[in-house]
Amino acid sequence: MLLDINAYIGHWAFRQLRYNTAEKLVTLMDKFAIDKAIVASINATLYKNVQSANEEIARETKEYADRLIPFAVLNPLYAGWERDLIRCKEDLGLKGLRLYPQYHGYSLTDKNGLKIIDAAAELGWVIQVPMTLVDRRQRHRWDLAEDISPAELETIISRRPNVKWMILNSYGIDIENLPSEAQYLIDIANPYYQTLLRKEIPRLINKAGTHHVAFGTDMPFRIPNAAIIKLELLDISEKDKDKIAWANAEKMLK
Amino acid sequence: MRIDSHMHINGRNINWGWEHNDLIIEAADKLGIDKLAVSIPANRRFPMRDENPFDYNIPTMDEIRQDNDDVLAAMNRYSGRILGYCYVLPGYKESIDEIDRCLDQGMIGIKVYNQYKIWDPVFYPIIEKSIKEKFPILVHAGFATSPEEWDFEPNMSHAADFAYISRLYPEAMIIEGHIGGGGDWEWAIKHLREAPNIYLDTAGSVVDEGMIDMAVRELGAERLLFATDMTMESNVAKIMAADLTDEQRNDIFGRNFQKILDKRGL
Repeated sequence: MLLDINAYIGHWAFRQLRYNTAEKLVTLMDKFAIDKAIVASINATLYKNVQSANEEIARETKEYADRLIPFAVLNPLYAGWERDLIRCKEDLGLKGLRLYPQYHGYSLTDKNGLKIIDAAAELGWVIQVPMTLVDRRQRHRWDLAEDISPAELETIISRRPNVKWMILNSYGIDIENLPSEAQYLIDIANPYYQTLLRKEIPRLINKAGTHHVAFGTDMPFRIPNAAIIKLELLDISEKDKDKIAWANAEKMLK
Repeated sequence: MRIDSHMHINGRNINWGWEHNDLIIEAADKLGIDKLAVSIPANRRFPMRDENPFDYNIPTMDEIRQDNDDVLAAMNRYSGRILGYCYVLPGYKESIDEIDRCLDQGMIGIKVYNQYKIWDPVFYPIIEKSIKEKFPILVHAGFATSPEEWDFEPNMSHAADFAYISRLYPEAMIIEGHIGGGGDWEWAIKHLREAPNIYLDTAGSVVDEGMIDMAVRELGAERLLFATDMTMESNVAKIMAADLTDEQRNDIFGRNFQKILDKRGL
């Protein structure tokens, strides 16, 4: 079983994505035997009123409730986000929150960031943060978003260790800077995380433990099978592979 | 057959982040890669405006020879698995002799980095030699769209540079390095349509969905060469993920590069 914690639906303004609707994403998942995926809206990166993107994703994923786990995206700088948050959970049936602070103009550690993190945590929601959405070396000239730094992520996880964190597309977080009681999962989508040769994933597992690592692909931006191969080649027990493949994420989502 | 056409090994002047070169072979075995064409461009750029050349360490000819000696040693140690590119900095007058020294000992081509654009006349003697002796030139390349990246590598060749040199030397076998090396790969592929003798290697840490499909659609599978440039698993995945026929996949994974080697009877 594979549960991908790092997938998207929607239009990316700067490059055509081929599998960016719920229907197409599921065909891609079928091709690579990925059972379930957590998805959030790409449109929400640039919409001013991101709630529209949440309404869209709730509608679009309804038909695929057994495969897609829709997450909300909210911007704590925009009017009415507190009410939108409740509506996302209670009316739209969304299951967690993905934040794009680099596109919405706040920091995870400033008062706005803390406010929305605390509000989502109050609902018992998992909070996802993609460190990056596109390789900065190929960004569009209007895409000026800065990647979130490992230091910012280390700080927010340390300040809110009881929040259920899923950190996506990350690289460079120093596990030793995180409190031992922190609840977090780091996905293996970033191509700098390798199983072989430089062995970054085995090192991550050694430092953090298999219970802090999760399968994530970054589809449809990236090919999904890179993460699959990296997972398959890990020299760990099948039980530990299962934890990374799905069990850690499923446990956190409960 | 899988041949990684763009890879590196550790040498005395550089460690790329793994403990021992044995790990390359171990990884290749797990990924079904039969051979890897490697180089050691240990000193990879000229100093920038605000850097002191005395501090920066411009590669000397002696260091370049050391790098190439380390590749030759790896070719011997991992005989049949490691193929060697001769790294040269074209501005040195000794470069032609160094190419001869390396090719005489079994290297398969040359690797150049980002110190000069590929159309710089400093390259002409080397390109003419490559045509005469039928060896490929692998060039570090990219079209970074962020100003900070360009500041870092102001003379890095990009696809339009390759299109230009292609017109000057249509017989040359020139490989544009790592389409996934970080940069606008769609821009690069579109420019390379005008450069039929330029090959494109598939390496790089960018593993965007649709990249290889577009390259095959626009350039044809016969111009693509499988490569990893140290991002090994993801780059095997990249070729596996693309919508290709078995023939196309096999061409990219190894047959195209073998055809290049066959021209010199290697």
